[in-house]
Amino acid sequence: MPDGMTKILIVDDDPALVKALRIGLTARGDEVATAHSGSDAITQVALFSPDLVILDLGLPDLDGLEVCRRIREFSDVPVVVLSAYGDERRKVEALDGGADDFITKPFGMAELEARLRVAIRHSAARTGSRSQPAATLRIGQLEIDMVHHMASMGGEALVLTAREFDLLAYLARNAGKVCTHHMILKDVWGAGYGAESNYVRVYAHRLRKKLNDDDGEILRTVPGIGYQLVDNAPAD
Amino acid sequence: MRRMQALSATNRRASLGVFVALVCEGALLALMLPFRSDLSLATPGLVFVIPVIIGVAVGGLAPGVLAALTCIVLYDVFFIPPYGALTIHTRANSLALLVYLIVVLIVAEIVHNLHSARNEAHRREQDAGRLFELSQALIGDLTISQLLDHIAATVQTVFAPRWTALLLPSGPGPASDEGAELFVAARSGQELTTEEVDSLTAGGGQIRSLGMAGGEAPSRMAVALVASNRPVGLLVLQEVQFARHDRALLGTFANQAALAVERAQLQDQALRSRLLEEVDRWRAAMMGAVSHDLRTPLASVKAAVSSLRQDSDSMSSTDRAELLELIELQSDRLARLVTNLLDMTRIESGALAVRPTLIPLDELVDESLGAVNGLVPRSRVEVEHGPDLPLLEIDHVLIGQVLANLLENAARLSPDDSRIRIGARSVGGPAVPFVEISVTDEGPGIEAEERERVFEMFSQKSGGARAGLGLAIAKAFVEAHGGSIWIDPRITRGARVVFTVPGAVSVAEHA
Repeated sequence: MPDGMTKILIVDDDPALVKALRIGLTARGDEVATAHSGSDAITQVALFSPDLVILDLGLPDLDGLEVCRRIREFSDVPVVVLSAYGDERRKVEALDGGADDFITKPFGMAELEARLRVAIRHSAARTGSRSQPAATLRIGQLEIDMVHHMASMGGEALVLTAREFDLLAYLARNAGKVCTHHMILKDVWGAGYGAESNYVRVYAHRLRKKLNDDDGEILRTVPGIGYQLVDNAPAD
Repeated sequence: MRRMQALSATNRRASLGVFVALVCEGALLALMLPFRSDLSLATPGLVFVIPVIIGVAVGGLAPGVLAALTCIVLYDVFFIPPYGALTIHTRANSLALLVYLIVVLIVAEIVHNLHSARNEAHRREQDAGRLFELSQALIGDLTISQLLDHIAATVQTVFAPRWTALLLPSGPGPASDEGAELFVAARSGQELTTEEVDSLTAGGGQIRSLGMAGGEAPSRMAVALVASNRPVGLLVLQEVQFARHDRALLGTFANQAALAVERAQLQDQALRSRLLEEVDRWRAAMMGAVSHDLRTPLASVKAAVSSLRQDSDSMSSTDRAELLELIELQSDRLARLVTNLLDMTRIESGALAVRPTLIPLDELVDESLGAVNGLVPRSRVEVEHGPDLPLLEIDHVLIGQVLANLLENAARLSPDDSRIRIGARSVGGPAVPFVEISVTDEGPGIEAEERERVFEMFSQKSGGARAGLGLAIAKAFVEAHGGSIWIDPRITRGARVVFTVPGAVSVAEHA
């Protein structure tokens, strides 16, 4: 939240990491709660109603993926998953299971902070648009008119095919969230798709050209996992 | 030589036939002679059929014919007048002799045919039995060396050569390379001399050069084992007596054996590649475990350091101190883990020897608590043991690490203020005293099906909640001392890890 403290729940079974994160985030003005097990985490989400959950995938009692799924049953709180290096499969599973983003250990506080802000900002925007489906989505310079299937970038209309528009609209609806190839294919291409990540790559490449985003600053590539639509300008 | 022996066997049978026939003739002659005047002319003719039949049955056709000829002489000389001479005076008498001769020859031929048919049937039955025996053995679940021994042994029993040798191409896998050198993989019967082995393997000892019919050395029979159009080996029989049909039997044998050998070789290969796969998987799992365990302390160090660098100003001095302490402790943890890993690999490769010294348990506990200083608060640890606990005879560095790993796990996995109990008791006899040490915590415990696996390198269930490498390292160190380590299955609340290490023979018994 831009105004006031952000309530963050840290879930990890390594007390040292929990302590480091607690002190670090508190110093930045966040309110922090901690949990050392999966069941504890689920209870805390219900009681503490955090604005964000940092969730380690390796917990002593419940699998982190399971914890993520159970939280999703009753809460839309953004979940950023902590994962070990090279565990691409579990990252994808976590994202498919409802996590918003992931960060690989070891990480610096600046990187964590940046991810948390993106997740919180976009989640707030998403919950707003869900209660009252917005006719127009705005992500930074990008404006998407869902009713007329039109999109513009900095006031300039974009010429998009139907599929390109659908892809952009899907990513915009999930802005800030890392969308896996699988999720994108299922939603944009249809239920029969799921393994054809090449399609997504081709369309993402085209979109990026039209958005003038050759460096992937708006349509961010998450290598081996998927895409994330990010607005890098700080929200006001 | 083979032919000579075969001939002599036939000769023996023939001589026996002739002998029996002649004896029989003599007996019948002696029986009939006293009252030959009372006998009709035809009677001796009928009686003299008997020795001919006996001769054929015992000795074959030739003794039968011989018996028939001698009977004609006896018949003529003793029973056809004039007695005592070969001359025949009446045409009727000549006719009787002629009829006798024809009857006797026909009977001999029939008896002979019956006899050989029976022999043939018997032989076929035997062959079928042998083949069945062999195939029975070949479909069994034998290792390749057992299989080869079995083939050699069966061939030896059935064909009875001086020796049987089974040659395989050297080098890995089936004999795809026709030029491969051969070696004696299995043998049976008498020992092979060095020269014989050389003659089999050197120079000419190649499947191609010996070929299917091969083996032109005198009295040596070689049959290539061919499966899927590919030679898999060579069967050599030394000094074997072969009847004509035996060659076909050996061929059938060889075909069956070839298939079995090929199958066993393929099975062997499959097993080998499965093993390699297993090793690969293990290696990957170990790399994963090592990387996870090294990264865990690193993650908190990096988080703490980056926090201090960016937000140090907005922290209280206590928070700063806490972060600094955390960094130090986690660096120690990292260093300890690296040392542990190095020690473990060196122990497993035999490069690190266990150096036992005598040490009391309490001192060992102090040492371990020192190693995990800060991670395991001393106030949480309770030590309980009887007064007569023997000294430990251990490498205190290694077993200290074991205890430290167990304490660290216990502290990490149980509530912050709960107790960690170290227990010890003497087990084993006075001659081989062992001390059983246990570490009990009040954490979530270990599920029954996980109790074995937690000690494996790659035990981490979905991310490594329990020990990661800690228990695998503990197991390696304890086993290097001849002890063992396990999770107490009787505990339902918390976890109790138990291990045994050698204790010192008590001083009183020395005195």
